[in-house]
Amino acid sequence: MSQGQAREWELTCPLVSSDIEKLAAGDLVYLTGPVYTARDGVYQHMLIDGNAPPIDLQELTNVSLQSSPAGVEVSPGQFEVASLQATAGFRYAQYMPQLLEEFGVKAVVGKAGMSEEVYQEVFRKHGAVCLTTMGYGLGAIYGRAIKKVLGVYWVEELGISEALWTFEVDRLGPLLVEGDIHGNSFFAQVNDDINRQLMGLYDGLKPPVYGRIGEEQKPETELF
Amino acid sequence: MSTTSTAISRELIYQVAYETNKRAAIVVPQDGLAAFGEAWERESKPLAHFILGQILENAKLAVADARPMCGDTGLPRYYVKLGNEARIDGGVVALERALRQAVADITQDIQLRSNRVHPLTRRNPGNNTGVFAPNIDYSFEPGGDWIDIIAVHKGGLFGTDYRMLFPADGTDGIKRFLLDNMAEFARRGLSCPPVVVGVGLGGTKDQAVTLSKEAACLRLIGDRHPDSEVAALEEELRHLANQTGFGVMGVGGDTTALDVHVEIAYTHTGGLPIAISQFCTAYRRSVARVFASGEVEFREDPQWFTPYYRREGIE
Repeated sequence: MSQGQAREWELTCPLVSSDIEKLAAGDLVYLTGPVYTARDGVYQHMLIDGNAPPIDLQELTNVSLQSSPAGVEVSPGQFEVASLQATAGFRYAQYMPQLLEEFGVKAVVGKAGMSEEVYQEVFRKHGAVCLTTMGYGLGAIYGRAIKKVLGVYWVEELGISEALWTFEVDRLGPLLVEGDIHGNSFFAQVNDDINRQLMGLYDGLKPPVYGRIGEEQKPETELF
Repeated sequence: MSTTSTAISRELIYQVAYETNKRAAIVVPQDGLAAFGEAWERESKPLAHFILGQILENAKLAVADARPMCGDTGLPRYYVKLGNEARIDGGVVALERALRQAVADITQDIQLRSNRVHPLTRRNPGNNTGVFAPNIDYSFEPGGDWIDIIAVHKGGLFGTDYRMLFPADGTDGIKRFLLDNMAEFARRGLSCPPVVVGVGLGGTKDQAVTLSKEAACLRLIGDRHPDSEVAALEEELRHLANQTGFGVMGVGGDTTALDVHVEIAYTHTGGLPIAISQFCTAYRRSVARVFASGEVEFREDPQWFTPYYRREGIE
């Protein structure tokens, strides 16, 4: 199957800087090696509340997934994952400086990435990239790439869906390079074109008589 | 039709609730596969074409490995249509208990993500059940001694919105809201295009939202509303949604919406309520009819919007 004009890279985790440097926004990546999950629960527990992780994450890998796997405890202490997908990453921009600084993360795997400003200000400084899962529904393909659940931590504190999972993956992909180390965003380029198209579609459609909640009332001035 | 029809056993309801739930998570319905296939063939942008091919490959792998097609297995829910002559061993309460049990069991057995948590404490029971969870929605049909059980795994986060328009806003207002909705969610990974869009138009506010969800999830792709004016609006909105150019996962492409379904309900003379829901790339639905005889028939078409369900006059 053709992947279009995109370049493809097979990379081993933890990632080395020579691998990260060659990635450009719009490239496709397949990852092999250890990775761990961190999203709302882990970010709050580990970064904001300052709880030290139960294992040395930096020693394990420098690839972090913004994901909560479709996985269960099949027998006490034994976990399995059927399917995997990342969640929309833009809402986690606030955690990136600390995650990259304190935990040495070099690749964040999320969904649809963050804004170009975050790549410019945070990722570029740390020589890190932001990858996105593709199709947004490729859960079975990604699930198949999980060769082993290495460990699941903070289940009691965070619940199974927000827990910290560590995996050994084999060719986890295709993932799209959304933000590269130069601070370029793939989606920023795409949306620049789409926005022009979109503005044309609004042309000639009269605006609604009344706005939406939050748009109309102006407590500073409104007397009506 | 006799009112003394045989009662449908609660065990059978449990089995069918379990099986439909399992299939919904794993198997892409035929109309979805066909639509993804057509979108893949038609797609002119190389990257979008590649991703649509991966979606088709993912659908095959999910069935081959019996693993959920998406890692976010959404919020499992049921739509139940009760034939007016159907009787259940233990009544509707037994049916509801069977459906809740099926959700808890399937979560463990095929490894669904335990998504359902308390909204404030975030406590996770670990089985996708809880207060008002799973959703169970009902409709009724004259005559039948059967029960339709439809399992849907709906995303549960973004892709749905509601607003009240005035009648003077008309189709311009409807089109604007569609564009707002597509543009807001197709960016940032909040929705997962290509989607099936459901539009609930009219009714009360809560009806508009309910109808939009049912329109997105419970009609086959390509199905048109029997009211020709509504059908024409469906075609127009489908065209408009695809003109945005977001394409699969927003990378830029020809297919953003596989279809647009509009459901209407009679509404207040002073208003035009509208709601839009999107059914994502993980197109997850399974339908079965349980007969009084104990026979079970799985089928593709939910047949949720029957002429009786959309009835207008006084009978």
